[in-house]
Amino acid sequence: MPATAHLPIASSGSFLITPNVGLMVWVLVIFLICLWVLRRYVFPVIGQTLDRRAQSIAGEIDAAENLRRQADEVLAEYRQRLAEARSQADEIVSRARQAGEAQQKEAIATARAERERLLEQTRRDVEAETRRAIDAIRREVADLTVLATEKVTGKLLTDADQRRLVEEALADLDFSVLTGGGN
Amino acid sequence: MSAITAPAPAGTPRPGEGSERKPGASRGKRVALALGGLWFAGIVFFIGVFGFKAHKAPAVASGVFTPTNEFKLDTWFSVGPVNFNKGVLYVILAAAITLGLMFYVAHRLKERPGRLQAAIEMFYGLTSGMARENLDENLSRKYFPLIATLFVFILVSNLIGYIPLPVDSLDKFTLFGAHLPSFQIYAADTNVAFPLILALMVFVLFSWERLKAHHGPVGFLKSLMPAGITGPIKPLIFVIEVLSYFLRLISLTVRLWANLLAGHMLIAFMGGELGVLVGDPWVQWLLFPFGIAIYLFEAVLIAGLQAFIFSVLTAIYLGDAVTSH
Repeated sequence: MPATAHLPIASSGSFLITPNVGLMVWVLVIFLICLWVLRRYVFPVIGQTLDRRAQSIAGEIDAAENLRRQADEVLAEYRQRLAEARSQADEIVSRARQAGEAQQKEAIATARAERERLLEQTRRDVEAETRRAIDAIRREVADLTVLATEKVTGKLLTDADQRRLVEEALADLDFSVLTGGGN
Repeated sequence: MSAITAPAPAGTPRPGEGSERKPGASRGKRVALALGGLWFAGIVFFIGVFGFKAHKAPAVASGVFTPTNEFKLDTWFSVGPVNFNKGVLYVILAAAITLGLMFYVAHRLKERPGRLQAAIEMFYGLTSGMARENLDENLSRKYFPLIATLFVFILVSNLIGYIPLPVDSLDKFTLFGAHLPSFQIYAADTNVAFPLILALMVFVLFSWERLKAHHGPVGFLKSLMPAGITGPIKPLIFVIEVLSYFLRLISLTVRLWANLLAGHMLIAFMGGELGVLVGDPWVQWLLFPFGIAIYLFEAVLIAGLQAFIFSVLTAIYLGDAVTSH
C-alpha cells in the first residue's frame, strides 16, 4: 500500500506571486520554438487545405448553379414543348371531330338518298307488277266470262258479243284494291 | 392441462414486467438517487467512525503541511544555470503535445475531415477570425501564427493541468520499496512566470507596433490620449491612460494565472484537502462531489475560455496599437 510522507517544508506562500525566472526563460524559449515550427510547417499546410477546400466548394457551388440554370432552361423548354404538343393535340382532335361529323353527315345523306332511290325503285316495280297482274286477271276474267256465257247459252258468241260481255263483266269488277286505290 | 400458452399480444406487458416500474423513475434519476444516498450514508459513516470533531494530522497541526506547497517548484536537477522542475516538465509536455497533435493532423489532412481534423480546423478558423476581425490584412497575416500558437499552447497547458501525474516531488509515496512522487494535478500556468512571460512578449509586440504606427515615442504617448480631451483634465486622463496601458500587462498575466491557480486550489480543497486541514474525514466526504463538479467546470470551460481570452486580447491590443485615437 502506498504511504504518503510529507516533507518538512513549511511555506509562506510568497513563491506563488514571485515569478520563477528560470521557468520564464523555459516558457519563452519553448513557446518561440512552437511558434516557429507551427508557423513554418503546420499553419501553411492547414491554411492551404482550407483554401483549397473553399475553392473546391466555391467551384462546386458554381457548378451546381450552372446545372440548376441548365435544368431550369430544359424544364422551361420542356414545358413549352408540352404546351405546344397539347395545343397540337387539341387541334388534331378538333379537326378529327369536324371531319368525323362531316363524314357522318355525308354518310347519312348518302344513306337517305339511297333509301329514297330504293323505295322509288320498289314502288315502280310494285306498280308494274300490279299492272301486269291486273291485265292477267282481266284476260282471265274475260275468258271465263265468254266460256261461261257459251255454256249457259249453248252457242258460240260473236266477237261483238264477246267484247260486250267482257266489258260488262269487267265493269262490275273493282281493281282499285290491287292498285292501292289508284285504279 | 396443457403446458402450451398462447403468446401475449404485442404491447401487452408480461407478468412481472413493467408493473414494477414506477412512472417517472428514469434510469438517470435512479442513479442520482443511489449516488445521493451513498453520499449521505458516507457522511453518517465517517461521523460515526471518526466522530464529529476528529483530530488534525500531525503535519497539519505543526504547520508543516500547507496546501500551497504543491505549487512550489522544487528543482529536480540542474544543467549549469538551467534548472529543471515540474513547471518545466509541464511546459515541455505542453509543447510536445501541441506540436505532435498539430503535426499529426497537418500531415493527415483529408478533404472529408474526421473529428480531430474538424476540431483543429475549427481552432484555425477561430484564431484566424480573431486576427482578421482585429487587425488589418498585413498585420493579420503577420500575427495570426502568434495568436493561434498562444491559443493552442495555453489551451494544451491548461488541459494537461487536469491530468493527475506523479510530479509532486515534495510529497512522495512508497510503492514496492520505491519512493515515487505523489500524483497531483498541476499546470505550468499556475506559476505566475508562465503567463507573465507570454504577457510580456505580447506587451512588447503591441508596444512596438504602436511605436511604429505613431512614428516614435512622442506619437506613441500622444496615441494613448483619447480624442477630444481638452483643458486641465488632460494630464489626469493622460496618467490614467498610461496606467491602464501598463495594467494590460498585469491584467493579461493575472487573469490567466489567478484563474488557473484558484481553480486548482479549489479542486484540491474540495477534493479532500480542506478535510485534511480541519481534520474531519466527513468534511472530505461531504465536499468530494463539489470537487468533482469544480474539476469538470474547470476542465471543460475555464481551460478553453482562458486560452481564448488571452489570444483574443492579444489580437485586440495589437489592433488597438495601430488604430487607436
